[in-house]
Amino acid sequence: MPEVFIDGKRFEYDGDQRLLQFIQDKGLEVPFFCYHPSLSAPANCRQCLVKVGQPVKDRETGEYELDEDGNRVIRWFPKLQTSCNTMISDGMVVHTQETDDLVKRAQKDTLEFILINHPLDCPICDQAGECPLQIQTYKYGPEGSRFEVKKVHKPKRVQLGPRVILDAERCINCTRCVRFTDEISETHQLTITSRGDKNYPATAPGMEFDDAYSLNTVDICPVGALTSADFRFRARVWEMNQTPSIDITNSKGTNIDLWTRDNLVLRITPRFNEAVNNHWMPDEGREAYHLFNENRISKPLQKLDEGQTKSSWNNAFATVAEQLEDVSKDDVLLIGSSHASVEENYMLSKFASILGYNTPVFSSHIEEGKSDGFLLTDDVAPNANGCRLLGFKEVSGDELSKSVSSAKVILLLNDNVVDRGVINKDHLSNSFVISFATNHTDTTRNADLVIPITCVAEHAASYVNIDGRIQRSFPAKETKYTNRRLDFEMNEGRLDRYGTNFDNWVTEENKIDCLPFWIVINKISEEMGLDDFTFQSGREIMDEISSSVTPFEGVSYAKMDEESGIVIQKEKQTV
Amino acid sequence: MSTVDWKNYEPVLIPNIKDLHKIDVYRKNGGYEGWKAVLTDNEKWSDPKSVVNEVKSANIRGRGGAGFNAGLKWSFMPPADGGPRYLACNGDESEPGTFKDRKIFEYNPHIFIEGALIAAYAMEVTSIYVYIRGEYKAYIDMMEKAIQDAYDAGLIGKNIFGTDYSVEFYVHSGAGAYICGEETSMLESLEGKRGYPRVKPPFPAQKGLWGRPTTINNIETLSHVTSVINKGADWFKSVGAENHPGPLLYGISGHVNRPGVYELPSGMPILELINEVAGGMRNGKKLKAVIPGGSSTPVVRADQLDGVTMDSDSLREVGTMLGTAGMVVMDEDTDMVDMLWRITHFYHHESCGQCTPCRDGTGWLEKVMLKIKNGEGEIKDLDLLLDITTMMEGRTICALADAAAWPVRHTITRFRDEFEARCKKSVHAVA
Repeated sequence: MPEVFIDGKRFEYDGDQRLLQFIQDKGLEVPFFCYHPSLSAPANCRQCLVKVGQPVKDRETGEYELDEDGNRVIRWFPKLQTSCNTMISDGMVVHTQETDDLVKRAQKDTLEFILINHPLDCPICDQAGECPLQIQTYKYGPEGSRFEVKKVHKPKRVQLGPRVILDAERCINCTRCVRFTDEISETHQLTITSRGDKNYPATAPGMEFDDAYSLNTVDICPVGALTSADFRFRARVWEMNQTPSIDITNSKGTNIDLWTRDNLVLRITPRFNEAVNNHWMPDEGREAYHLFNENRISKPLQKLDEGQTKSSWNNAFATVAEQLEDVSKDDVLLIGSSHASVEENYMLSKFASILGYNTPVFSSHIEEGKSDGFLLTDDVAPNANGCRLLGFKEVSGDELSKSVSSAKVILLLNDNVVDRGVINKDHLSNSFVISFATNHTDTTRNADLVIPITCVAEHAASYVNIDGRIQRSFPAKETKYTNRRLDFEMNEGRLDRYGTNFDNWVTEENKIDCLPFWIVINKISEEMGLDDFTFQSGREIMDEISSSVTPFEGVSYAKMDEESGIVIQKEKQTV
Repeated sequence: MSTVDWKNYEPVLIPNIKDLHKIDVYRKNGGYEGWKAVLTDNEKWSDPKSVVNEVKSANIRGRGGAGFNAGLKWSFMPPADGGPRYLACNGDESEPGTFKDRKIFEYNPHIFIEGALIAAYAMEVTSIYVYIRGEYKAYIDMMEKAIQDAYDAGLIGKNIFGTDYSVEFYVHSGAGAYICGEETSMLESLEGKRGYPRVKPPFPAQKGLWGRPTTINNIETLSHVTSVINKGADWFKSVGAENHPGPLLYGISGHVNRPGVYELPSGMPILELINEVAGGMRNGKKLKAVIPGGSSTPVVRADQLDGVTMDSDSLREVGTMLGTAGMVVMDEDTDMVDMLWRITHFYHHESCGQCTPCRDGTGWLEKVMLKIKNGEGEIKDLDLLLDITTMMEGRTICALADAAAWPVRHTITRFRDEFEARCKKSVHAVA
């Protein structure tokens, strides 16, 4: 096994590896800015300089030459090397800032250079708190600056595109954004303009940076030069909670983080998952947070005369039980949803099988032409494959319209079938429609009873993506009935831990009066005199699914967390 | 006392022949005979390797500043694999003090074209690019005309002289960036990209233009190839200094009576160049300092110059370099602070901005120099400048940071009293 020595420690390695990546993988640290594991390494920030040497080999014998103490003779590179583009070779000896003063000095010097023309406006900069430049300056930078002359001034508040704003003075010209558009999104929309310390990223004259993936450049920008037009000045990062989740705007199952403060999701960023989305996500998915915050249904709604009125939970459960009591089993239609999780759909199907109703149907949500071969898919629902694997019958719009028109009672799980044109709202008028939904839509407005349920940001539930990979979300925001400090699935941020109820960021307003769908089913079945439903969490339901539904065999939350998703369906289904 | 017999030297690059830039005049004077011989004289030049070996043994040190053996550089090209291979000719001379290649473009373009063709054949190159700085508009036009004439005469193109060797020749105009004279950023520029130097390795011989094997040579270097082929490697080695042989174009500028480009053997004593070749100091002033090879080479004080000759060894002894042999001569009235500020301004303006130390360091140098120039500097600023140069040197992708740092370091150390005199006196009394 080839070996490499880093700061005197011996490591074994395999294959071609970049030194900087290897150092990071081993849990060691060398500061850097321009390097990104998914992009090329231009070695332009010069921050990751280390001292590199190779042992001298005897040309004839191929043995290492030894000095009088029996140590290998090392031939050092005359200059410090950038570790990001240095490939590891056998026997290489590396000294980082931990063991070499020259390296330490070089890294400090580079930071001093970077900072002389940097505006140092951290107090008003959105990047503060998650800024590699800030962090590395504290760790490796100079104590102060010797720069007593005028800084370079460059354009500020440049609207590069509809979603990205540039502050050129903060830019350190790492070219990550340029390389992103060249190598990942391949739109080539950005370049560096001008020369020397006056240069900054820009689009071609008259062109907009309207890349479908443009906001990834904001994520990878190591300073606050590129900011999101949407999230700018909304919140400081250290006031937010970061919760892992899954993108629900298409079937790719992009891994994301939800950033919440005071029970509002304020932004969505991609989370690394090499098997799904790498470091990236489409801009479209980032808009989804509006769905979690706005236009939510809070408290059940019942149709009285013309309009809908708020109703009590008890009344809602009693109404469902009452409606289901007098109707023949064949007249009940259960509609599952590719927009809802595996757990929710499973609850619906279990409810059907225990009460003897027909297996739920579902209609997949396809928007032709959306797919770009990368992270956007034609199927804009996150869980069509989950419904298929649960054995739901996939129906077309016509079939669904027909069965809707002939049913007496319809249980409709979170799917906006009216707005997306699968059925006409008039089809719903002949029957008693019970809609379990998260947001107000034309479908819920035409329902006779609307029961609000939790959305992906409020519960732990799993979704099967287009490639048959099951992944799950975590609750990111509280409802009226949950509490961050009592729910072990939820994480606590700095404010949760150290804030008090009297702090001005704590309000009750943003908590939605809704329940997880499985609790709703528990209550309804209780009302109907059944004792089969006692589920308290998605975790419990998944345990039951994995033991009763064949494709889900061996799936558990613990395994999903450990392996960041499990592929449960080998061959791809046609969508 | 001269060690070089320069007075009897017959120029070969820019000889005194009227209308030599015209192809028929050039051919009448033996032009393109070497090219013809290389392709058709199978006894003397059996294969491309034989040309490489001849040039290698002539020890043509690259005239673009780095001084690397041209033939050796050619031999780094991997064996031909049927795909495209390139020769890129570097005519982007933009360094202050350097103006020698323009004389070749202007007075003897065909000696360069012939040398480039011979080099192309030696390395089995399929296309030649000559990259000329954009400011040389007139010479770009002249080059284009000269190349077209050579095409029309059947010296470039398909199946030259009836052999199966074909090569294309293109002129590419720069757009005003000094950095594009750096060999790898010239390749980027030729590919139509921003002139950012590339990280080496891979070296251009492995992955150059469009990822194909490429050699980059200076215009003067390639022109010498013609002489080596015509007159032999031994003749070339017999001219000038032993370790840096051959004729050299000296571009002499500054406070001398007859500034200009002079073709003379290498290894000329600097003082003879100034006093005899360039007609002595202007207005009878005293010599103060010389920059021997373009603005990036460290300046030398007049009292260091006794016996110093223009070759790399002799110049290294006084702490400077030959560079491009573009000498800048300065008389006793020269303000070294102003001079250094102007140099730092140049490098600040020309830094491409790719690497942090150069991008921000060159600007810092200029701004502190401006402060000193305006009489607002303090003694500590001089130490700061010296510190910045150590922070920049050897930490960047290309050598521009070094080129910017050296003049600052050496001008301050060699003329420190002048800099201190311009600084404000410290307000704090020294105990």
